[in-house]
Amino acid sequence: MSMTAPLPDADVIIIGCGPSGMAAAVTLAEAGRSVIVLDMQPAPGGQIFRSLEANLCDTSPAGQSLLAALGPAYRAGTDLIRRFRACAEIDYRPQTTVWEVRPDGTVGWLQGMNAGYVRGRQVLLAHGAMERPVPFPGWTLPGVMTAGAVQTLLKAGHLKPSGRIVLAGTGPLLLLLANQLHQLGVKPALVGRTDRLSDSVRASRHLRPDGLLPLVKGLGWLGRLKLAGVKSVTGLENLAAHGAQNVESVSFTAGGKRQTLPCDLLIVHDGIVPAIDIPNAAGLRLQWDGPNASWRPATTPDGLGASTLPPELSAGPCVLRVTGDARSIGGADAAIAHGKVAAQAILAELDHGAGPSGDALRAVDKALSVRPFLDAAFPPGLSQNLPDDDTIVCRCEELTAGDLRAKIRSGFRNMDALRGESRCGMGPCQGRSCMVTAARLLQDETSAAGCPPTFRGRPPIRPVPLGAVATLSGLDPRATIRLTLEDKPENASEDTVNAPAE
Amino acid sequence: MFSDLATLTDAVTLSVDGQPVKARAGETVAACLLRAGVPYNRLTPVSGARRLPYCMIGHCFECLVEIDGIGNRQACLTLVREGMKVRRQAGAPPALEPSVP
Ligand SMILES: Cc1cc2nc3c(=O)[nH]c(=O)nc-3n(C[C@H](O)[C@H](O)[C@H](O)COP(=O)(O)OP(=O)(O)OC[C@H]3O[C@@H](n4cnc5c(N)ncnc54)[C@H](O)[C@@H]3O)c2cc1C
Ligand code: FES
Repeated sequence: MSMTAPLPDADVIIIGCGPSGMAAAVTLAEAGRSVIVLDMQPAPGGQIFRSLEANLCDTSPAGQSLLAALGPAYRAGTDLIRRFRACAEIDYRPQTTVWEVRPDGTVGWLQGMNAGYVRGRQVLLAHGAMERPVPFPGWTLPGVMTAGAVQTLLKAGHLKPSGRIVLAGTGPLLLLLANQLHQLGVKPALVGRTDRLSDSVRASRHLRPDGLLPLVKGLGWLGRLKLAGVKSVTGLENLAAHGAQNVESVSFTAGGKRQTLPCDLLIVHDGIVPAIDIPNAAGLRLQWDGPNASWRPATTPDGLGASTLPPELSAGPCVLRVTGDARSIGGADAAIAHGKVAAQAILAELDHGAGPSGDALRAVDKALSVRPFLDAAFPPGLSQNLPDDDTIVCRCEELTAGDLRAKIRSGFRNMDALRGESRCGMGPCQGRSCMVTAARLLQDETSAAGCPPTFRGRPPIRPVPLGAVATLSGLDPRATIRLTLEDKPENASEDTVNAPAE
Repeated sequence: MFSDLATLTDAVTLSVDGQPVKARAGETVAACLLRAGVPYNRLTPVSGARRLPYCMIGHCFECLVEIDGIGNRQACLTLVREGMKVRRQAGAPPALEPSVP
């Protein structure tokens, strides 16, 4: 029986329209390649340049003060977005969510109530990062939000937080947000950092000349907050949010003392990590990034991923590359630099060019050179210790660390058995908020070391409404045969102790 | 918990649990609900606990609401539209009960 492969819809499909995806799209389109860019947000920009186009057009005094508060790093995206919009070869599809990616270049998408598959000769995953999940007592209460969420409300909602505000956690984004709020006249009751002076001292040996500018910027933020009289602590531990229906107070330990503060909005942040939902479901090999305490896809320097699917289960060789913060946390400059590298590698693959230039590769190294310093200066804090038994780990299914520990102790000693038994990771978020904690609990209970195991990723990684399934377009009869739910092998590192027989 | 940077000009009106609510054109349903000060956008199917948007970038799925009759839509990824009908979710969407105020 022979079935022909459907024709590709574009030379390249790019998932994500942040700095890395836009830089790659522009490079490819300027070389004459057809590109489809899929992004679930309504406008180009990704996390850092979110709503930039709209905000640049807002000439009202409030709009101008928002732009001033968001600072030059935000406006720096203006040119890239203009160039992206100017490329007629780019087929940009906003508000389009990707729910499946296969190593052979097939991509499942959802837009409103329409869904389907598109195929690229090459596919670039530029889907970015997410904030590190931080289970602590009370983190599901209304009134607890992430720093990224509050920043998104500023950029895209023109909303500023009000009432008694506490910021807790670590990382550049937390301090950046505190400063942006301060510039908009919002004075937090406390900025509580989990990092300590000793972290900065230890980090200083990683300092490279290229890292001095970010350092000066960071010290400037701290100085301004201090001048404004914003109360701050370092070495914050054991954070908890309290309240019956929403946050009413927060408590924490700092300097050996337990403190409680009244609070309406608790803003938490524990650094950002590569979003691995798509790579994991696509069957790409993941590795553990020790200094950033996160998974990342294993890739070549130009971003090519390694498929863990045996060849007979895939409709072709792996054509997936990963770029930007989805590959390695580095911020906007590194994302743009690597987007170009990945695009040059793709052009070489498509018979059109010599591969990444030395200049392009050096630009990535330069932009990433500050990372070792930042990783050491802002180590994970809120998520450092495993949660107590009473703390919720899986927000969707409301499972506590104690629930999971009990299941593990009763014999469910690998991730998929634990998921099947407990439903942890089976809710709408598909494990994005709980997987890393579940994996750490499993390793802790079984005294395992090495790369924490993942749930086996299964499409759809984002819910597709039934009505949309009915309209599914672009199905590939070959892939339907080859790819079943059970075809994806375990990640190489996964502990494969089986569930007990019932 | 949140207030406007400036008074709403370019406003659209949507209905939240049958009540008219003003929103800024071009913003998301989640932003609109937070401005309106709703105490929750969904009650969890397991314990009935209140939830509000948590990440605002499409990852956590805490912002699920019913939009124009379809349950489990991510409010942080959906833009407001004049006349849009939003209902907060009580429990699992198939068993949607009349909304609780
Ligand atoms: C919440 C948050 C806020 C941040 N704010 C800042 C900041 O203010 N300043 C700063 O310097 N850095 C910030 N960062 C760091 C940020 O990761 C980098 O600065 C930069 O934006 C990374 O670029 P990127 O192209 O790799 O990914 P991103 O900019 O993250 O772009 C990825 C895009 O892919 C889309 N996407 C993801 N998954 C899917 C899917 N399944 N289907 C469709 N589309 C998808 C996303 O919606 C997004 O638009 C932030 C990170 C996060 C997580
Ligand atoms: S608030 Fe997290 S997905 Fe919408």
